[in-house]
Amino acid sequence: MTSIVLACGNGLRGDDGIALYLAHRLYGRICDAETEIVCSHQWLPEQAEDLSRAQLAVFVDASVGVPAGEIRVQQIAVRSGEIASRTSHSLTPERLMSLASEIFGAAPERAFLVTIGGGSFEHGSEFSESVRKAIPAALQQIEELLSAQSVSVR
Amino acid sequence: MGNTITIDPITRIEGHAKITLYLDDKGEVSAAHFHTTQFRGFEKLCEGRPFYEMPYLMERICGICPVSHLLASAKACDMLMALKVPPAAGKLRRILELAQLIQSHALSFFYLSSPDLILGMDADPKERNIFGVLQKQPELARWGIRLRQFGQHIIETLAGKRIHPAWVVPGGVNEPLSVEKRDKLLTQIPEAIEIAQETLKGFKWQLENFRAEIRTFANFPSLFMGLVTVDERAGYYQGKIRFTDSLGNIVADDLDPANYQEFIGEAVEPFTFMKFPYYKPYGYPDGMYRVGPLARLNLVDHCGTPLAQQEWIEFRDLERSAVLSSFHYHYARLIEILFALEHIQEYLEDPIITKRQAKYTASLNNLEGIGCCEAPRGTLIHHYRVDEQGLVTFANLIIATGQNNLAMNRGILQAARHFVRSEKLTEGMLNRVEAVIRAFDPCLSCSTHADGHMALQVQLLAPDGKLLDEIRR
Repeated sequence: MTSIVLACGNGLRGDDGIALYLAHRLYGRICDAETEIVCSHQWLPEQAEDLSRAQLAVFVDASVGVPAGEIRVQQIAVRSGEIASRTSHSLTPERLMSLASEIFGAAPERAFLVTIGGGSFEHGSEFSESVRKAIPAALQQIEELLSAQSVSVR
Repeated sequence: MGNTITIDPITRIEGHAKITLYLDDKGEVSAAHFHTTQFRGFEKLCEGRPFYEMPYLMERICGICPVSHLLASAKACDMLMALKVPPAAGKLRRILELAQLIQSHALSFFYLSSPDLILGMDADPKERNIFGVLQKQPELARWGIRLRQFGQHIIETLAGKRIHPAWVVPGGVNEPLSVEKRDKLLTQIPEAIEIAQETLKGFKWQLENFRAEIRTFANFPSLFMGLVTVDERAGYYQGKIRFTDSLGNIVADDLDPANYQEFIGEAVEPFTFMKFPYYKPYGYPDGMYRVGPLARLNLVDHCGTPLAQQEWIEFRDLERSAVLSSFHYHYARLIEILFALEHIQEYLEDPIITKRQAKYTASLNNLEGIGCCEAPRGTLIHHYRVDEQGLVTFANLIIATGQNNLAMNRGILQAARHFVRSEKLTEGMLNRVEAVIRAFDPCLSCSTHADGHMALQVQLLAPDGKLLDEIRR
């Protein structure tokens, strides 16, 4: 099974960089040629082809809408009509999945969005205390998803 | 007293800007201003930093063309250290630059401008985007994604990451290219060339539908400027500066970029944060010149690679002298993508490209360094002065988009006079004014982005401030 981790964020804006940090930690923990890890500032249309080759996708991002340090996992899928967007500057995971399906004819059978609530998005590369404490659990959560173990989706 | 029309913000460009159209008492457009409403301040914030940090500070100026800033800055640092880079590193830097040109031009053409070209200038703005193109011409949208992805893939293969790589260093590059990576890249080039050719074919077929835009999109005489190599090709990484006029005559040639202050002046205006560089001997604003793809194809006598050369001949046949319409920046961009792909193939096939010696080292040997290259949007100059500890005391940047500033302002005036009817504004009218700016593909600041729902609000106000007409999107 081929898997892809798509992490996005800004490493110079505090907790916004948590997904990138987790992705870099995963590089060292996953010795698996079948798993691709991609870091970017935003999710962009050109990542649709990468996505179309995978059977399992895990999107990782920081969130302002989740309490600081809280980890949420949401299952996502291709949805008809999700492709429309006013901008190509950044895409939601759903839109990227739909784009992969529409243009490249395939999208992952299973996909998850892991969000980590951020407490501070100020300039700097330091994480807030809450987010720092959440790192081990977030790594474990992503690894469980990648190893296709059953997870509780919150 | 006249009225004003404001287009704020301009959509589908990189960065934040607005346009103001000034109407006279008869309701005719009498003046136009292109305002850059953001301020970056990189020239000041780098003061006091060690010179060897500059490439990595400066590439953060932009998220679309960081490689150009990285290269211009590294070249300025090469000069500070008074060294030449190893031959393999020089070619690897060139490949990196051309790869960035491919991805940046693909972004401009396919993502930002093809909605106007495929769906029409008057199409519903809700659908006038890359996703609308996907619905109408899915193959074209797929090509755009593939080309941009390929440019980024080359950057990632060479430099480790797609955006803001730290691979280029003063003195060369950090790591040589392996034979395996080189061979893999070579296998991917034919598909990309085929896409570039097919896109060009489709674009040329569409040209007839845009006669009015070709005639009125910043279509006027001006100077053109860019780097030219010793064998008379456009010099993307290195070369001497050439100015030509609208008849194709060489105005100045063989100018050393390090002496840019002798022939480029910089003016400022109160309505924008963007500078107005001009050709000094002609003064301001008569010294207006254009840079970028259109200029580069106007400056040279040949293109240099077989397929791009054929396209270049056809392109230059559009007019007897220089090609003056800025609408043709789109056309020039596609030819440059083809050229870049062919040229990357040439570099990769050169055995020197995998040599292990990729970097020389030296300490500070000069107190002043100037680096110059052709960014996707035009000539880019980085100029630094340092103290004896190597700390930056002065930095000046001549950015491509700034050099097109005079032409962009004049271009929107020309288009607005032709398309805007103040008695009843339509979205399509204003989109054409924006599209003039998009043709130049300005990079106002790619490292700051709007949140994705860019509002357009245009108001037509009476002299007493009464709202006469308004459009929002």
